[in-house]
Amino acid sequence: MICTQVLIIGGGPGGLAAAHGVASVGANCLILERDNRLGGILNQCIHNGFGLHRFNEELTGPEYAHRWIDIISTNPHINAKLNCFVTEIQRTQDGFLTTAMSADGLLEVESKAVILTTGCRERAAGSILLGGTRPSGIYTAGCAQKFINIEGKSVGKKAAILGSGDIGLIMARRLICEGTEVVGIYEIMPASGGLARNITQCVRDFNIPLHLSTTVTRVAGRDRLEGIFVAPVNEKLQPVYELEKFVPCDTLLLSVGLLPENEILSKFGLEWTPATNSFAVDEFFMTDCEGLFLAGNVLHVNDLVDNVSSEGEFAGTSAGRYALGELSKGAERVEIGHDEHIKYTAPKYIHLDHEGTAQISFRVSKNYKKVIIKAFSGGKEVSRKPCPAVTAGEMQTLIIDKSKLIDGLYLEVEVL
Amino acid sequence: MEKYGVAIIGAGIVGASLFSELARKGVKVVMLEKSADVSDGSTKANSGIVHAGYDPIPGTLKAKFNIRGSQIYPSMCQRLGVGICQCGTLVVANESGREALEQLLHRGIENGVSGLRIIEREELHEMEPNLADNIDIALFAPTGAVISPYLVCIALAEEGVVNGGVAKLNFEVNRIEKVNDSYILGNGTEQVEADFVINCAGVNANTINAMVGAPTFDTHYVKGEYLLLDKSQNGFVNRPIFPLPTKAGKGILATPTLHGNIMLGPTAIPCEPNDTTVDAEGIAIIKEKIKLSVKEPNYKKVIKLFAGVRVVSGDDFVIDKLPNSHFYYTVGICSPGLTAAPAIAEYLCEKLVADGMEVSVHKFVPRTPYVTTNDLSKKQLKELIKKDASFGKIVCRCEKITEGEVVEALNSPLHPTTVDGIKRRMRPTMGRCQGGFCLPKLIKIMSRELDVPEEEITLHGNKSEILAKDKD
Repeated sequence: MICTQVLIIGGGPGGLAAAHGVASVGANCLILERDNRLGGILNQCIHNGFGLHRFNEELTGPEYAHRWIDIISTNPHINAKLNCFVTEIQRTQDGFLTTAMSADGLLEVESKAVILTTGCRERAAGSILLGGTRPSGIYTAGCAQKFINIEGKSVGKKAAILGSGDIGLIMARRLICEGTEVVGIYEIMPASGGLARNITQCVRDFNIPLHLSTTVTRVAGRDRLEGIFVAPVNEKLQPVYELEKFVPCDTLLLSVGLLPENEILSKFGLEWTPATNSFAVDEFFMTDCEGLFLAGNVLHVNDLVDNVSSEGEFAGTSAGRYALGELSKGAERVEIGHDEHIKYTAPKYIHLDHEGTAQISFRVSKNYKKVIIKAFSGGKEVSRKPCPAVTAGEMQTLIIDKSKLIDGLYLEVEVL
Repeated sequence: MEKYGVAIIGAGIVGASLFSELARKGVKVVMLEKSADVSDGSTKANSGIVHAGYDPIPGTLKAKFNIRGSQIYPSMCQRLGVGICQCGTLVVANESGREALEQLLHRGIENGVSGLRIIEREELHEMEPNLADNIDIALFAPTGAVISPYLVCIALAEEGVVNGGVAKLNFEVNRIEKVNDSYILGNGTEQVEADFVINCAGVNANTINAMVGAPTFDTHYVKGEYLLLDKSQNGFVNRPIFPLPTKAGKGILATPTLHGNIMLGPTAIPCEPNDTTVDAEGIAIIKEKIKLSVKEPNYKKVIKLFAGVRVVSGDDFVIDKLPNSHFYYTVGICSPGLTAAPAIAEYLCEKLVADGMEVSVHKFVPRTPYVTTNDLSKKQLKELIKKDASFGKIVCRCEKITEGEVVEALNSPLHPTTVDGIKRRMRPTMGRCQGGFCLPKLIKIMSRELDVPEEEITLHGNKSEILAKDKD
């Protein structure tokens, strides 16, 4: 039995920053990582663009991970174990008992608090009801990325990509660099959900055809993929089958969305928020279960790793303070309200404890040219952020000074 | 050339049942399968239900073998060390279907099904809280059960092998020649000789019959498409829920799988023999028809689409032999074929004995069930990891499958070599990420254990390599 004040499950960007957060308030923690190294998915993201906010530099994924690994590796408050796969988290009288499998046997960890930073997984062909045959050659974009960047393998000769989220765009460029022909990127929505810089640097610069309002209707080929059928979609996003055409290719990458990997918490009976495909948390990143924290992509899918790190760090400081008995209790918890321009906020709840600040992340429901994001409490404006342009793909954040809160908190987007 | 008493063509549930039956009787038997693994045709893609037997018309082979098969299954699964969930099945209807349900009940009683009863609304909705609101009554068949069809088929084939049978995979019979009193079966490069030949080739039965001048049958093919839901939906239904059967079949059902997923389907669409595509139309039919029985399933939790093809020949199974020969054939083994298969095997074995097949005294060797870490207690798991550390290394995170289990599957009696072969035995890539995370790890282990380059590992044999060969 191992005892630690805070157990962090997942040693990717969220978990590394969480550990730093825990240690910064003087508590100790243990990271359990399922892979054979820390850093999580960052290790396979060899492109640059990480860390602009955090370190004011453009780093590759592994470099960004190593900045954090360097930060925590010398900290005596932080331990990490690799190749440990958590199979169960149980609530105990004064904390949690977590079981993990490893080659050294079953590991049992007792802790005051648990932070889940397990990230997310990719939607596969089934979850988008992709019909046709079931040949080899269909990968989620991240799986192909792992084969190429970590294993040094080639996934195919001629590829199509469904979905123009960031991973899809980055993998389009990556495939071309690896000598795979990219016949096109197909996006069901009228606009790419990826970051503007990725559309420029990965697609336009490499002359990859990006077909908007178009989707893959089915795949063909009995053994290996032989091609895909694509069709434009109508305003209800339904394919127009009369216009369906065949595109020969031996590889299809799916970049069709990410889902928080939080199933291990299903038995805790926590409040579910459909907009994030995860559980609700308060501004400390604590769930309905006292001492159980969520941060990063397991809470809601982020577009920038810098956000994941800052959430992780914040969750870490909260969990550390909780474990030390320093997190104030008893203050009223209210739901953060918002208008129809905002899809969701994470956290969903905030305490009226009038202490410190809270970081509220959210996404707007569509792209807007020019807006002012405002926060109100008790009818008074407590925060505002003018934005030249906001897109549905890009996460927004707002810092709230909790001492200014009167009754609740309400977020509004004023469209100019 | 190796000489056998019996050659079975096809390693689906019928072929594998007979293979095990004969091997356990000490018959020198070979099973020839064209695919890279057993259970690669209709057997792998169906509802996985042991039917109680109220549906077939009394007096038919379907009725006879269904009833006997459903009696065999529980003890057979125990003998094989594979799971069976004896949850019973329900045929649900609204009040206007009462008469039809009662007819089914009487047909079932006539067929010899035990325990059948009509369940009224209150009890029914308590048993199955997610039934559609307008469902008033149901026929409950307590002897109905849920199995994993491919796992049963694999286990039967393994049982045949450990009892002395020979299973030849990637052996597509393309020629059968009668020489003196025996048959020579060839695939173009290899030949085997046998006294008896049993055609269990499923959708390809007519092709095989034609090779020896046996009659070919008027057959048609019906595609059944399915949606598979994530394990988080476990409990949506607690047992198979059928609508009232129609001429077209048993209808679109909602059922738990043996491993705790929820499955919706099948459609029943006329198709070409090997058309296992899933169409948008089929998905729409499932979504529409399922409403008749149950509340709206959570389609966001679909993890896989698949389809299987059933071969249908008239209204009944065809199980017969070419007169004055040792060539037997099974044609049109559609539903309830999975249930009926062990009974068909029993029947064929009797026929073969009567026809002069040689049997010998044989000491039964039980199949060794796979070690599945999910089924072990913490204490057992600790001991296992201590003995072999690879049972502590998780490969598939969704289904929690360890490296030890993957290696165990690779070394199992049929020595599967494909990703799908490992998936059907141990479930890696079967979960909610569908291999997104574990495929690279899995291929690496397979490459190491099989001693072939990763680029040669296939999804399901033939040209289904997962990685591209030459990297420029």
